[in-house]
Amino acid sequence: MQIEKSDILHNLAQAVIDMDVSRAREIAAEAIRCKLDPYAAITDGLSKGMDKVNELFENEEYFVPEILLCADAMYAGIEVLRPYLPKEDSHNRKKAVIGVVKGDTHDIGKNLVKIMMENAGFEMHDLGRNVPYAKFVDTAGELKADMVCLSTLMTTTMDGMQVIIEGLKKAGITSRVMVGGGPISLGFAKNISADGYAKNAAEAVKVAKSLFQDIHLPLTFKTPELVSVRKNLGGAR
Amino acid sequence: MTYADEMTPKERMQAFLQSKEVDRLLVSPLILNFASRSLNLKVREFCTNGKNMGEANIACFKKYRHDIVYIFSTTSTLAEAMGTRMYFPEDDAPQVEVPFVQIREDLKKLKPVNPEKDGRLPVYLEAVKRCVDAIGDEVFIVPVIGAPFTTSAALRGTDVFIKELYTDPELVHTLMKVATQSVKNLIDAYVKAGGVPVTVEPVATGSMISEKHFREFALPYLKEVYSHIHSYNLPGVLHICGKTKRVVKCMAESGADVLSIDDIDLLDAKELVGEKVCLMGNVSPADGMLKGNPDIIGSMVKECISKASNSPRGFIVATGCEVPIKTPHENMIAFLEAGREFARLPINLN
Repeated sequence: MQIEKSDILHNLAQAVIDMDVSRAREIAAEAIRCKLDPYAAITDGLSKGMDKVNELFENEEYFVPEILLCADAMYAGIEVLRPYLPKEDSHNRKKAVIGVVKGDTHDIGKNLVKIMMENAGFEMHDLGRNVPYAKFVDTAGELKADMVCLSTLMTTTMDGMQVIIEGLKKAGITSRVMVGGGPISLGFAKNISADGYAKNAAEAVKVAKSLFQDIHLPLTFKTPELVSVRKNLGGAR
Repeated sequence: MTYADEMTPKERMQAFLQSKEVDRLLVSPLILNFASRSLNLKVREFCTNGKNMGEANIACFKKYRHDIVYIFSTTSTLAEAMGTRMYFPEDDAPQVEVPFVQIREDLKKLKPVNPEKDGRLPVYLEAVKRCVDAIGDEVFIVPVIGAPFTTSAALRGTDVFIKELYTDPELVHTLMKVATQSVKNLIDAYVKAGGVPVTVEPVATGSMISEKHFREFALPYLKEVYSHIHSYNLPGVLHICGKTKRVVKCMAESGADVLSIDDIDLLDAKELVGEKVCLMGNVSPADGMLKGNPDIIGSMVKECISKASNSPRGFIVATGCEVPIKTPHENMIAFLEAGREFARLPINLN
């Protein structure tokens, strides 16, 4: 029985990696039949597959179409398992608000970040695209969000990120802000006082997690200086 | 200090294309919607009116005397002319609002464009003609066309379209065929109007799809486009922004003579494809043109020249992608002056 369960978990992961929606559904149903813990089926099965997908993306073996299709498979599996999950204890999950800033309707990058962060355990609140600045501030305040993630592909809309960061500050909201997108650089992120910058969806998860490590740094950018700071503060991660 | 030119932009480009002696490398920031600024127009007024689009580009050329005058507002213009609905912000480039092909049956309604009638193509054609009449003896007028993959993505919706590379390749090829015919029709119209059309394929960027998909879905149609352009004895120019290292070799196999590239080290590009194609790039639009200052831009221009001016098939000093519309005037001047100073031949950067 033990071996069979690990097979199921493996197959769930593989269905995600293979972008196979119907197989993800089938195996998820099999997991229920075999009385597998549905929570484990997600975290040790589907989600493990998505971790691998993230790795393949980082290594430039998978690209955007692959990630979108893998995510479809993952969500198809989750749909089957969801009714069997105990009432969710989201106590410890970090809440993040995400959206594409006003003036820009390109949302593929934002969707990738959302998928990857959801998989990494963040509770994502997606505001969509072309989102007014105030909406980010209001939602972050209402949800007491731990994080706000801002995306844009256009040079014309990047300055909106600064407006949002200032708005959050003015409203006394302490959510940490991560920014990313085509024209965004580390230098720009620093200039607008963002807490984090990620250059792609795979990195977004690492940066987001690093924003909630015990060590408090004013900025959590992936720079050589910071790596050495972290080392000095008790070992590299 | 200003550096005087000895040739007109047109003479320089002609000599360059014929491998004759030139005074300096071509210096060609990708001035697109930024041209609206030269007549203090909002982008919407600029890109929806042929007179505005033409006159603003004429005024812009008189102000900066850049080596190539581009006519452009968005990569989705062809898709728009084929039925995709666009959203026009008051002062920014138009963006796709509702893609035309919502269900499979919509494919049947899809037709190649008639450039004289469809969408905003007449606006573009008028802009080209006005520029050719006013400044065409000094500079080439270069309308920019969204290539087949990019046009197809805008017809179907990019997120749906790129998944269909796996789930419905037949639909993808059907779209690509019609889009390719549209591109060719538009090339014909632009050439007739006196323009030198070039193509952009940003959705096929290495930030988006794999080399395998590029080869299967984008490359065959790009080849068709460049062989059509070559039938007019014109050079094929292919621009792809974002990360291009992964796909730059395929880009060079498309038949394009010039590759305009963005997020790639020019040394890598030179090594990978410099023997085959002329390179063009790649000062950062955001960190350089928009957010930088004249010093930063000067050193970025210099760095590009030091890396790629000896590329075997030539080099054109450019921005990696569109010059942001809010680029300060002094930054544009800094780019052009650095180009005129450092790109003077023979190259001497000391």
